[in-house]
Amino acid sequence: MVKRQTAILRRARPAPPFWEIHLALEQPPEPGAYVLADLGGPLREPLFPSEIDSAGFVAAVPPGHPALRLLPGAEIDVIGPLGRGFRLNPDGHPLARLLLVAQVGFLPFLQPLFQAAPAVALVVEATTRAQLPAPTRFPPTLELTLVTLDGSAGYLGPLEAEGAVPSGLERAGPRLRELIAWTERACFAFELDRYPALAQCVSEVRIQPQADLAQALVRVPMPCGVGACDACRVATQRGERQACVDGPVFDLLAFRRE
Amino acid sequence: MVELAPRHKYGLTLTVPVMPASGTFGYGDAYQDLVDVALLGAVVTNPVSLRSRRTAQGRRIGVRGDAFVVHTGWPNPGLNRVIRTYSETWERLPIPVIVHLLASRPEEVAQTAARLSGVAGVAGIELGFPATISVRDARATVEAAANEGDLPVIAKIPFGRVERLAPILAAHGADALTLTAPPRAVLPVRDERAGAVARFMRGRLYGAALFPLLLDTLSYWARRLPVPVIACGGIASPEDALACLTLGAAAVQIDALLWREPALLDTVARALVQPQKPDSVLAESSTEQPGMEDEE
Repeated sequence: MVKRQTAILRRARPAPPFWEIHLALEQPPEPGAYVLADLGGPLREPLFPSEIDSAGFVAAVPPGHPALRLLPGAEIDVIGPLGRGFRLNPDGHPLARLLLVAQVGFLPFLQPLFQAAPAVALVVEATTRAQLPAPTRFPPTLELTLVTLDGSAGYLGPLEAEGAVPSGLERAGPRLRELIAWTERACFAFELDRYPALAQCVSEVRIQPQADLAQALVRVPMPCGVGACDACRVATQRGERQACVDGPVFDLLAFRRE
Repeated sequence: MVELAPRHKYGLTLTVPVMPASGTFGYGDAYQDLVDVALLGAVVTNPVSLRSRRTAQGRRIGVRGDAFVVHTGWPNPGLNRVIRTYSETWERLPIPVIVHLLASRPEEVAQTAARLSGVAGVAGIELGFPATISVRDARATVEAAANEGDLPVIAKIPFGRVERLAPILAAHGADALTLTAPPRAVLPVRDERAGAVARFMRGRLYGAALFPLLLDTLSYWARRLPVPVIACGGIASPEDALACLTLGAAAVQIDALLWREPALLDTVARALVQPQKPDSVLAESSTEQPGMEDEE
């Protein structure tokens, strides 16, 4: 981990509902890892890669984010790369099948993995149809499953729910379980409180799953990035862990309920 | 050289009067890649309790303007585990380690102080108190730490309680005082989905705006207390640190502002080892303190 100056490479461009900024960085963070950027506020802001290229990385930020005030050429001070990102092939074997599952607001965290395997399936959950990104924004090779909480498009969510549904709608749960059975690795990006139920889905489908079969990105405030402040502690089956250094990507099954 | 515990049999000598504040720097090695610890006077650890504490529920960080509120609940694995995990790190560090203890009941503090005596690398104890602790309980806690342990005891005074607590604790066992712990503060928490204030979070307030309040406290108390005073709260530059020393502080602690700029510790430490002319920091003017202008 080092502290360095980086530069904004091009003007922020809209990628609804986000804006994308392109930062030059010799050693960009891996997917799921991050840098802490000094953007003028009292605390550094974490920036996660939504694209990684030879010049640096692109970070998707929400409207109003302080990074959007920066113009091309502006220099900012970053610390990183920090944290443990997604671990797709720790044993060196190329991955053939990858499942990505995200709520729509967290989709940029998984975006660098859209082409990380020959076969990638993506499940996106949104509250309603209007929040879903246009399918044309995804690579054509991606197998896309859309889920809405009001049933206005795709399957009816939430993903982990069970029970009867109104006629004409189909629950997302069985589809998710089918994909979990199919995949070699699964990467999730949701609010932390969703993970126990999603972990339950995985453990129901896969008998004695290997470590890191399913991985979960945890988004909590990480003001220091080095494990000093204890603001990012999350409860796991192995006790409390610091998202900034032990994560932010954890084994999803660490969030199973006892 | 600065002596923070001149009345103590072992003393607590710092080569540089700069250290991180408790709760901001981990247990000594978290910032090893970003801060040259050897430049500092001491390391103050995150708060430690006799038994383990879990992290707080709910919102942990709230930002308002240039200030922010932090609520962690002081999670820690408990004294024995902290010692097991970090004693080798502390022994290796080239500077003294001050272990910050969460002051609970005097009996527990006595146990923790006794347990820390003799742990290699540990040179002092800083006691942190609940914001509403009574004078009697605070005094009993300091006396317990001083009587049962061998280490110098620093009492970190809750914000707004200096007048009630500082003179008493200085007279009853505290070798030095840290002025002050961060103020308690409350922020509204918006529910992003509902777009309205859903609840409130309470926590410790940090920010550069605390610095004038610190100077106000120091300007009155630093030279009236019979023990060395460590200044803490919103120090954001070498000039801020020098101003604290000018007003009588023996040393300074850099608080959560170091999260944004870890190099602040090095920068302040380097500035303070240079020969200083304290009077050049503030324009010399009136009566009681160097550079202190009359009250409005």
